[in-house]
Amino acid sequence: MSLRFLAWFAVGCVFAPLLPGLLMMAKPALMPEIWQALWADNQWSGALLATLNSTVISVAGSLVLCLVLFCGLWPGARWRRYAAQLPLLLALPHVAFASGFLFLFADNGWLTRLCGISFHLDEYGMGLGILLALKESWFLLWIASTQLNYQTLSQQLTVARSLGYGPLQCRIRVLVPSLLPRLKWALLAVVAYSLSVVDVSIILGPNNPPTLAVLAWQWLNDADPQRVAMGMLTSLLLVGLLGCFIVLGWILWRVFRRAVGRFSGQRHLLNIQPLASSLGLVMTATCIAALAMLVIWSMAEGWFYPAILPDGWAFSGWQAAELSPLGTTLLLALASSFTGLLVIILWLEGGNPRFDLWLALPLFLPALPLVAGQYRMLLILQQDGGWPGVIWSHLLWVVPYMLLVARPAWQQIDPRLVITARTFGWSSWKIVCLVKLPLLARPLLAALAVGFSVSIAQYLPTLYAGAGRFTTVTTQTVALSSGGDPQQQAIQALLQMLLPFIMFIITLQVGRLLGRFRQGLR
Amino acid sequence: MRLLTLLLSLVAIGFSCFAQPTDWDSLRQQAKGQTVYFNAWGGDPAVNSYLDWVAGEMKQHYGVTLKVVRLADAADAVKRIQSEDSAGRKDNGSVDLLWVNGENFHTLKQAGLLKDGWAWELPNWRYVDQKKPVREDFSQPTDGAEAPWGSAQLMLIGNAQTGVKFPRSAPELLAFAKAHPGKLSYPRPPDFTGTAFIEQLLIVLTREPQALRLPPDPATFKQVTAPLWDYLDQLHPLLWRGGKTFPPTPARMDRMLADGELLMSVTFNPAHVDNLIDRKQLPHTARAFGFAQGMLGNVHFVTIPANARAQAGAQVVANFLMSPQAQIRKANPAIWGDTTILDSATLPAPLGEQLNAQKPAHLQAVPYLPEPHAAWVNALEKEWLQRYGAK
Repeated sequence: MSLRFLAWFAVGCVFAPLLPGLLMMAKPALMPEIWQALWADNQWSGALLATLNSTVISVAGSLVLCLVLFCGLWPGARWRRYAAQLPLLLALPHVAFASGFLFLFADNGWLTRLCGISFHLDEYGMGLGILLALKESWFLLWIASTQLNYQTLSQQLTVARSLGYGPLQCRIRVLVPSLLPRLKWALLAVVAYSLSVVDVSIILGPNNPPTLAVLAWQWLNDADPQRVAMGMLTSLLLVGLLGCFIVLGWILWRVFRRAVGRFSGQRHLLNIQPLASSLGLVMTATCIAALAMLVIWSMAEGWFYPAILPDGWAFSGWQAAELSPLGTTLLLALASSFTGLLVIILWLEGGNPRFDLWLALPLFLPALPLVAGQYRMLLILQQDGGWPGVIWSHLLWVVPYMLLVARPAWQQIDPRLVITARTFGWSSWKIVCLVKLPLLARPLLAALAVGFSVSIAQYLPTLYAGAGRFTTVTTQTVALSSGGDPQQQAIQALLQMLLPFIMFIITLQVGRLLGRFRQGLR
Repeated sequence: MRLLTLLLSLVAIGFSCFAQPTDWDSLRQQAKGQTVYFNAWGGDPAVNSYLDWVAGEMKQHYGVTLKVVRLADAADAVKRIQSEDSAGRKDNGSVDLLWVNGENFHTLKQAGLLKDGWAWELPNWRYVDQKKPVREDFSQPTDGAEAPWGSAQLMLIGNAQTGVKFPRSAPELLAFAKAHPGKLSYPRPPDFTGTAFIEQLLIVLTREPQALRLPPDPATFKQVTAPLWDYLDQLHPLLWRGGKTFPPTPARMDRMLADGELLMSVTFNPAHVDNLIDRKQLPHTARAFGFAQGMLGNVHFVTIPANARAQAGAQVVANFLMSPQAQIRKANPAIWGDTTILDSATLPAPLGEQLNAQKPAHLQAVPYLPEPHAAWVNALEKEWLQRYGAK
């Protein structure tokens, strides 16, 4: 069977339900009365403002943080030390981090207890934006660290230094222009995620009105068909917003290119390494403090404002906590990430990169209409509530993320190696297995780890495709977040964190192990 | 064989008035070995551990495997049942038993998605307190399509230690808010408890209480609800964060009360305070109280979708949930503290006293006020969101 056929078949299986989902979304756009209802609804403008605010803060913030750290630290021992932390920071699920962040910075959070600083996190989506900026900057840095070619760039940097340009100047002229195009996909995913995130917005976002994504989600869950249609239309408008962000990003990129291309010949010796070091430290410290909050809350017995520490310590919360969702989550995530790995390898080899954008669509669209489309399909096929159905529903998000991580590295394979292999008369299969896969072991492992954590984070697909029968740590955490027991919420958040952490550590170690045996991978 | 079953069932139907025990026995036989998927809101650890106990009992005494599907919102399951129906799944549905409130019941009943007429045939129905609204849900007749499980009443929670005098009427509440600005709030509708709070205010404030027994009439809606909006317009600037934003759930308000951020929380469970005190979430001085005139009360139910797979098993579970043994345990504040729907006078001697002994200790009881028609929920939520849904 030809590779091309297999690639299209695998991808077709995963993406076929996208069509009913998209059709479902598009229908209300043709109904003027739904537009009217949306126009008359007074929550809409506030929700739009909150969404725009949080998205701009998230995207601009994460990019700035990423660039500052990168320009300040790369290359060198400091960067290597920081990059070693990245997988752990990245493996932290959004929901768990948001819970810890809330315990830290909320009105009655620990910081207020400690030094009386209090700010309303939820107003105008500020807290949501800041949290996402932090979290997504690690994602961007991780992508950057897997994509950059050390050899060429460090040579170019040396040349720039030898011409007398300062450390920051060289990096802006050399690193940033080659970094940004490679971050294109990751940035798009950040925009789409920030626009359409539901679970984190529920925890940290504004609620009167909520963000557009949460509003759409509430409407889609409504029994009233008109509200459902309004939810669909709002989802569609999120896609439109994404388009605006793409155009804006493209314009800014052109402006930057023009500015960078202009040389005045002046040399600035500015070095932002101390700034970057301390920024990196603050970011990591925030993360550790948020985690510490979760750990303390999970063992706290009676902890009320304004006490700085709990009245007592007890493991009763852990004893009462349920552990069976951990097993379900692990099996689901392993199955979907390994299936996803197979699909992306087939696609990278046999598929056409021109269609990558289409495959990445699920990352740029609000999840809910897609989940609804998938669910309808599963109902017709009588496959809802079973393992294959749930794994399949996760793949729609797992595959694009894995592709996003693996594609640029695959593109960078030296074609001369492949041509050489061809001259030996090797078949495409043999070249994939003996040349490409070993070369790309590291990016593929990274893709696997990302796929695994994406699968763990899935809430809506697990709930719908699993007919509510699959209790994962994520569905458990979200179900508990509507309650008022910080202890159980902290415990579930910690459990949700455990699995991706272990997976990232494993892939990192495997990557290192491979590097020990193959010089080129180091 | 199939013919025989048909004949037997015809006979069973013919003699159903006399043959209830036999019917029930055959239902129990049928239920043995079935797996029942019980979809229930899973936000409260007390409810979750009670349901774990129920699952153990069902397995041990009835051979029924009870799988509890924990939902963040019962509307998720309603949506699923609707989707299954529109996809043509008339049997083999994924929900066998569902914990519902009035609005969701109303939606499913209207669409004909529920199994009718089974609840009143259950053996434990004879213990049910007929003085409570167990045959109607939000002014809509249940037709035996749902079995009562517990009852609830909207209550306010306050801490007596703070030395404040609890407001016992709507004007007193407003005066209280003036005396303590920024220390009151209520959950943001469409949260179930938040909407109930609005309904409570509407019941005590409106000049036309009869209108609430029927679905809202667009012609008179404005007139009936005008006193409510006037009241809220005065109240909101005095609320937490100036009424610009509201807590998402009553559970979050409990926490804010414990932290001293608010002076009052609301609950739909009169024994909730005892439960919170037991779990060390509130001090011993906390009290549940209500308006002297009465507070909104209702009964919550379990229902069986028409397309349920394990219908016999679901009925056996529903019957067990109504049993004196299960109700006594459920009413215990240390376990859950949900008010019973049984009449303790009809129970055999020791059980009746045991049930009475479970009454919450930290509660100042007030009369039940009947709920408005289910359609009011949607109308009030819509109007509330239009007026206050954006700061």
